[in-house]
Amino acid sequence: MDLYIAAFGFGLVSLSVIAIAAVGFTMQFGITNVINLAYSSVMISSVYVAYAFNHAGVSIWLALIAGAIFGAVFSFLLNRVLYTPFQRKGTSLLGMVIVSLATSLMIQNVLLAIAGPYNVSYVQPSGGTIRLGAIVLTVVQVLVIGIAVVLMLAIHALLTFTRLGKAMRATAANPTLARNCGIPTSRVIDVVWLITGALCGIAGVVAGMNSDTFAVGNGPGYLITIIAAAVLGGAGQPYGAMLGAVLIGEMTELSAAAISADYKEVVAFAVLVLVMVLRPQGLLAKRGALAAAG
Amino acid sequence: MNYYVETILVYAGVDIIACLALNLQFGVSGIVNFSFIVFQAAGAYTAAVLSMPPDTASGMSFQHYVLGLQLPFPIPWLGGALVGGLLAIPVGVLLLRRLRSDYQAIALLVLSVIVNTVITNYRPLFNGAAGLSVIPPPLSERIDPYTATYQYLYVGITFVCCLLVLFVANRIVNSPYGRTLRAMREHELAASALGKNLVALKLTVFVVGGIIAGLSGAILVGFISYWAPITWLYPETIVLFAAIIVGGRGNNLGAILGGLLVPLGFEEITRFIPTGFGPPGLGPAIQWVAIGLLIIGFLWFRPKGVLPEPRRVFNEAGIEESPFMEVRAS
Repeated sequence: MDLYIAAFGFGLVSLSVIAIAAVGFTMQFGITNVINLAYSSVMISSVYVAYAFNHAGVSIWLALIAGAIFGAVFSFLLNRVLYTPFQRKGTSLLGMVIVSLATSLMIQNVLLAIAGPYNVSYVQPSGGTIRLGAIVLTVVQVLVIGIAVVLMLAIHALLTFTRLGKAMRATAANPTLARNCGIPTSRVIDVVWLITGALCGIAGVVAGMNSDTFAVGNGPGYLITIIAAAVLGGAGQPYGAMLGAVLIGEMTELSAAAISADYKEVVAFAVLVLVMVLRPQGLLAKRGALAAAG
Repeated sequence: MNYYVETILVYAGVDIIACLALNLQFGVSGIVNFSFIVFQAAGAYTAAVLSMPPDTASGMSFQHYVLGLQLPFPIPWLGGALVGGLLAIPVGVLLLRRLRSDYQAIALLVLSVIVNTVITNYRPLFNGAAGLSVIPPPLSERIDPYTATYQYLYVGITFVCCLLVLFVANRIVNSPYGRTLRAMREHELAASALGKNLVALKLTVFVVGGIIAGLSGAILVGFISYWAPITWLYPETIVLFAAIIVGGRGNNLGAILGGLLVPLGFEEITRFIPTGFGPPGLGPAIQWVAIGLLIIGFLWFRPKGVLPEPRRVFNEAGIEESPFMEVRAS
């Protein structure tokens, strides 16, 4: 039993990582209508930017900020240089999926050429451990959970209490109507890419801090858990993504304790298929995968 | 040198067959099958275990796999094609039934990654990450595979398979069924409003594509005698997509041209780029970046490809060709 309680503790950490990543991913889709399959590639690039700073002697927390800034700027540029022009050209949703997948492949391979295929890890203070019954977490892991909680509260506050958040929700609901009401939608979308890119970068770096080692090849694995969490909660729904992250994070860690850690992603995928078959609109969304493409 | 030419010819044949199959799904019907390579792999694994001796036989104990039936030549290939088609049924039923098309694409992409992970980690089925090796070439008990005759024979059989697949693909594209597929691609709602069963259309073309993909895998594995998870990672599907986008979506000739230019061209051209500078793996990395640039470049500058799909204008009996129709056609 202790094994499962310990796994539940690890689940808290991985759900925090997934939540940060999945909220960014789902906001990109919900507000800008791009399924950004390059998300995981931006994420792993941020991991390596932070790694470069970290190994130059900068503390991991400053490196985390560097990773966040990199993720934000990179995502912003990705949208400005690639996605927006293709969308303006009238590329279909499917066309955008292909474009983003090709982009993902390119980013990943440029990174592979620069960083090499090796497993590396951050230099970080070991700090010690915190015990709570059978749950044993390192201080870093507890801080990761803390970062996730703060970020989720910040996203909630942004969407609920600020004019910018209101503009974002309006743009997500109906971009044409939002524009006609005087909302500068293209500027709103720029800000969305900056914010979600920062979330993407932070998620990458905390994922790197949470795992013993990481390599460029981890990218596709991130993407599967992120997509599973986002779709489970209802694609395009930030709160849905948070709920999806909680479920996927705990399920993958508990299954790792029960079966084998090799099959974590398979469990995430099984959940994804079940949701797509039984409830394609996700747990929270009223409309989602069932809506006509267009 | 001769062996090099024959290898290229067989690879070209396999790529052309795969591109024709993917063109039926992606080009003609608009199904973005990001797990295409899984069906090719299913055909390859099936053909391998049908033609190999049991894993308890002498000299095979270093690998574990199921079956090992040692069946004579055409059966493993037919089995590969069959399994490719059979696998398409559950995948199609699960993923193509109700989902929006961009969700389908993502689900298929995730499927591709996951199936590879499972086969890599689960050893009893197809020997896990190490993969199957020493797969006997077809007909090797009659003809020595190391002779020139055998190589020519293999190229010949591959060529015949290409022609066969091209014939089938052309018949499909030019049939009323093919027309319905194009209608579905252009406007799902309109096709459905005209009483076309979208799910049945998608499923059938998914199965046909799966059968052809399985055959292409069987041909490839018989020639290279080796098959492992590393040979069918999900980016391999993207290469085929690049081929079809470059060649011309929806046009079988375009698929053939793309199959010749992209997978083969890139493999062979990069072979002649000097190695030994930069970090290890720079060459393949450049290759993948080039594939990505090719897709994005063509989608931006020439989305219809080198050989665009022919515009079909129907002049039905009883309707005279009016100036209006000419305007529409031009």
